[in-house]
Amino acid sequence: MKVLIVIDANEPNEDILRFSSQFLSRAADTPTILVVLDHKGEYLPSIVDEIQTLSRKLLDCHDLITRVRIGYLAEEIIKETKGGKYQLVIIGEKQTHHLSHLPNSSEAVYVAENAACPVIIVKGNVRPIRRILLCDSGAGRSVILSRFTTQLAEMLEGEEDITVLHVMSQISAGPGVRGNLLRASAEELIDQFTSEGEILGNDTQVLEQPGIHPIPKVRHGFVVDEILAEAKSGDYDLAVIGAYRSEGWQRFLLDDLARKVLIRIDRPVLVVR
Amino acid sequence: MGNRIKLDLSASDPPPGQKTVENLEIALPVSETVTLPRVQPRWWEHVSFGKIILFCFSLYLFILAISFMKIGARGIIPLINNFFSVHNGANALGFGWLFAYVIMSGSPVAASALTFFDAGAVNQLEAFSMISGSRLGASFIVLFLGFIYVLKGRNRVTNLSMGLLSLTVTASTYFPGLLLGFVLLNKGWLNSLHLQSGTLLQSAIDVAIEPLVRSAVDLLPNWVIFLSGLSLILISFTLFDKCLPQMTLKESQVGWMSRLVYRPGIMFVLGALVTLISMSVSLSLSLLVPLSSRGFIRRENVIPYIMGANITTFIDTLLAAVLLNNPMAFTIVFVEMVSITIMSLLILMVFYQRYQRAMLDFVGWVTACDRNLIIFMIIIFSLPISLMLF
Repeated sequence: MKVLIVIDANEPNEDILRFSSQFLSRAADTPTILVVLDHKGEYLPSIVDEIQTLSRKLLDCHDLITRVRIGYLAEEIIKETKGGKYQLVIIGEKQTHHLSHLPNSSEAVYVAENAACPVIIVKGNVRPIRRILLCDSGAGRSVILSRFTTQLAEMLEGEEDITVLHVMSQISAGPGVRGNLLRASAEELIDQFTSEGEILGNDTQVLEQPGIHPIPKVRHGFVVDEILAEAKSGDYDLAVIGAYRSEGWQRFLLDDLARKVLIRIDRPVLVVR
Repeated sequence: MGNRIKLDLSASDPPPGQKTVENLEIALPVSETVTLPRVQPRWWEHVSFGKIILFCFSLYLFILAISFMKIGARGIIPLINNFFSVHNGANALGFGWLFAYVIMSGSPVAASALTFFDAGAVNQLEAFSMISGSRLGASFIVLFLGFIYVLKGRNRVTNLSMGLLSLTVTASTYFPGLLLGFVLLNKGWLNSLHLQSGTLLQSAIDVAIEPLVRSAVDLLPNWVIFLSGLSLILISFTLFDKCLPQMTLKESQVGWMSRLVYRPGIMFVLGALVTLISMSVSLSLSLLVPLSSRGFIRRENVIPYIMGANITTFIDTLLAAVLLNNPMAFTIVFVEMVSITIMSLLILMVFYQRYQRAMLDFVGWVTACDRNLIIFMIIIFSLPISLMLF
């Protein structure tokens, strides 16, 4: 897997490097460190040298590719991912003034929404990944979501618990509706072959590998609230969500739930596309 | 390419020894399927002329009802002022609310409020309050339907949630909207906006309605004319409901709609448009059941839909105001629509997420146990009564 680790020259990057080191021991390709310097600032080779030294130490990897770009952080990362054929981008979260005209925006969210490959935003407490929360709405390519999570778990060293979460936010549209499913557990939904049960069943089947323990789970409530509540209550080390960029009329009509999760979640999050 | 239509050869059992459909298929040297040219139905074949006639008739009854109520309202002024003691905005709010409970509909009560205003039984602010009360009472209907299912042993949460949500959203937008409306009416900022019935409509009314009204005035006391008008308006709404196309869409056609989470603004507009056509919030909400797979709808989509529906539901009251030919009656309804729109947009744009959670938490609390439900029921019945005693 070809991994791009984004380093901000003006920010402490220890957490990002420590977090990234978990994926690199089993990754075949040499990781790339991308350093983006502010276009207004002066290019100082000493800064890049320091970053290289720190990266080698924390990633425990002497073979590194270092690329330096000058410009706006988010825009330069997108340019790099377009040309570099990366399979994973790891970036820290930082609120910046460049996108301050957009409410609740960050460079990392912008990258996660626009990059051509999966992106991990490193935020909150960084720990070894043992518990993963996979949030599957069933929309779009949910199999890709679980397949990528499997690949990711295989790159990690150890036994991972993966909770496959589906949030049912539906309520009865009116009196007289039989709403047993509105209170059903994951097992009941799978047993009754409902659409939600199929999503959970498929994901569990794809994830069923040695060393990976998938657990299907259903929560009832608002989608974003329930994902955030589960991430917190389950104390997960990484959350995984799908980013299905709506096009045309759908983009105009539909709410962007992935964006809301990205902004509000308090731990590392992987966006799969 | 034409449609392939399979001939139906199974109309009756064949006599013994004769070929059946199954072995005929093998015996026949040519295929039994024939290709017929596709016949495109003409546009008028899609139109139900019966429903158009029914619509025209229900509209006629509506206009007749308003005319009856306008004349008859003069006869019940003592009843409003002395028996029901409607002397201020609070009394009028409670009166409209209870009146809607009794007749299980809001629109006739709103139309009555305008006729009372036209007859001088209530003032501008009282009529405005009574119309608001009528909507609060009307939103009880979905809840009442849910109760019937609960009494039949169905689940409380499933059957009461939509009715409770409808009532709660209506109350939380109408009460602040009431205050805003009072300010708008007192300041007279919207008084210059009028829409009156045109000469053509007035001439049509003179020809088709006035003779009946004159006969009624000659034969009946005013209070009977008012009650006749109230009955006619209820019949006209029932007939109008029958004019609407039956919702026979299958899940495969639109079921996917209920699986998506829409932007609140989109659901707000959708609720307003559907109710503009159906003219009833309860009908507009009931349309959600066949429009969604399994009768479910996303929590995220419901509240803005109800908000939108609560605005355009006044369209029939606006029509009643035009028919009364009283400019201030039009202003009252228009202020009602404007104030509710402002309150709804304010919620959607400023604190929608918190509002949404609060509304659904409240519904969850009410349906959590019988005790909470009883408390809620006592409140929604005692509140309008208390307002009338204010």
